[in-house]
Amino acid sequence: MSLKNILAVALGILSAIGGFVDIGDLVFNMQAGATFGFQLLWAVVVGVVGIVVYSEMCGRVAAISKRAVFDLVRERTGFGAGLATLVASEIVNLMTCAAEVGGVAICLKLLSGLPYRLLIVVAVAALIVCAWRLPFEWIERVFGYMGLCLLVFAVAAIKLHPDWGEVAHGFVPGSHSGGSTLVYLYFVVGLLGAAMTPYEVYFYSSGVVEDQWGSDELGLNKVTAMIGYGLGGFLSFALMITAAVLFLPRGIDPEFIGTPALAAGDMLGQFGLLLAIVGILFAVGGAAIETCFSGAYNVSQFFGWRWGKFEPPARASRFTLAWLVIFALAMLVVMTGYDPVKLTEYAVIFSVVALPLTYLPILLVANDRTYMGSHANGKLANIVGVAYFFVILAIAVAAIPLMIVTNGGQG
Amino acid sequence: MSEATPVDLALGILDHQLVDADGENCGKVDELELRGIDGEPEVVEIVVGGNAWRTRGWSGRLASRLGGNAVHVPWSEVESVSAVVRLKRTAAELGLGRGDERWARLIAKLPGTR
Repeated sequence: MSLKNILAVALGILSAIGGFVDIGDLVFNMQAGATFGFQLLWAVVVGVVGIVVYSEMCGRVAAISKRAVFDLVRERTGFGAGLATLVASEIVNLMTCAAEVGGVAICLKLLSGLPYRLLIVVAVAALIVCAWRLPFEWIERVFGYMGLCLLVFAVAAIKLHPDWGEVAHGFVPGSHSGGSTLVYLYFVVGLLGAAMTPYEVYFYSSGVVEDQWGSDELGLNKVTAMIGYGLGGFLSFALMITAAVLFLPRGIDPEFIGTPALAAGDMLGQFGLLLAIVGILFAVGGAAIETCFSGAYNVSQFFGWRWGKFEPPARASRFTLAWLVIFALAMLVVMTGYDPVKLTEYAVIFSVVALPLTYLPILLVANDRTYMGSHANGKLANIVGVAYFFVILAIAVAAIPLMIVTNGGQG
Repeated sequence: MSEATPVDLALGILDHQLVDADGENCGKVDELELRGIDGEPEVVEIVVGGNAWRTRGWSGRLASRLGGNAVHVPWSEVESVSAVVRLKRTAAELGLGRGDERWARLIAKLPGTR
């Protein structure tokens, strides 16, 4: 591997780390930390390993078979179940996109002090211009690198001097204290859902097809999934640890998107606060673009339209229209003034319900040698993949009942 | 296409991507028309879009009401079947991909389109 290639891989990994955290991770890691301290760190590990396994699998399937996730959903589950999955995933995409847009507007408000609704319009306009004008690579890089400002939370977590013994205990699932079992389980579901959000695999697999990856890029695919998402998981730990040390003893419920930023500011002063807000701004801004593109990819792949960011917008006209419409609808949703944190919770919990029908076709095709040839799943990928599929099934069944009985984690 | 490789109609053709002679996506294999079920069954047509979904369960019936008329593509227009179904002529010649053409006129009016 030449130096230039190594550099390209390293840059790709950096943007994957910066792009890992979105509003779902922010909300659930902070709230879990503020409610249960370090006791749910293990759930982040389970979720991160899950997204590593499935994103590697769907990247490999996309590179070899040239099929993105919703092509496979349609081919393997047929029209009826496929359409149901499409509708569910589009609702979740829209809710997530709206929540991310709300997050962008709140960060802009914290930075400028201008009215929230005005900033929603500014945020959507800016995101549309970025999505329209910037090449794919630049979108990934700009938002990914700026999202690395979130590393300020890792610094904050260390400077808070947590009891590392207790932190280590958090990585072992077991008995818990400080809240009811149902609330604890609700947060387990939420943390897994936030780490394994389906739009990430929709977006990633479509990007692999657009970039025309083939068997030569399988190594890069593996490295990006394992190291990029794996290290991205460390940001989640940092968020949870920060909330556990700072918010839990004081009984603060981080119910505002700006609260995490205040945590960094509390430890590191004004510069820390600024870095945290900028990091959140770009992390959720990048995720807003990803969710709305995911929505456009899904519907285009389901109906067999022309699609792709690489296509001139008018050639893939229905694809272009789809992402513009999703942005417009997301803007309307946030304009109602509905709390983005609440919206995030609903989006993550509903996304868990859509997970099995997203991941099953990937798992099936990854084992189909007519598609995959010698690159079909090996034993390890299958054991872990099937195990995770059962985890996903269990949390998909439990998600909505848990949300209702715990009143969204309020106990 | 070669007659030697057996293809599972439900798994290998139905719901797969249609690609025209220029390599452009132009819909899915939404339904297949068969002839001679009791004797030697034979695929006559691929039905694409709109009321082709009629036969695909209750959600298909609902979707077909919104979808307009289907396009019928004779099986003789099929070049090859792999993960995608490749056609011998362009989408325009076969009457496929009309939705993309229709919306293209609107999108082309937006600023910043080449």
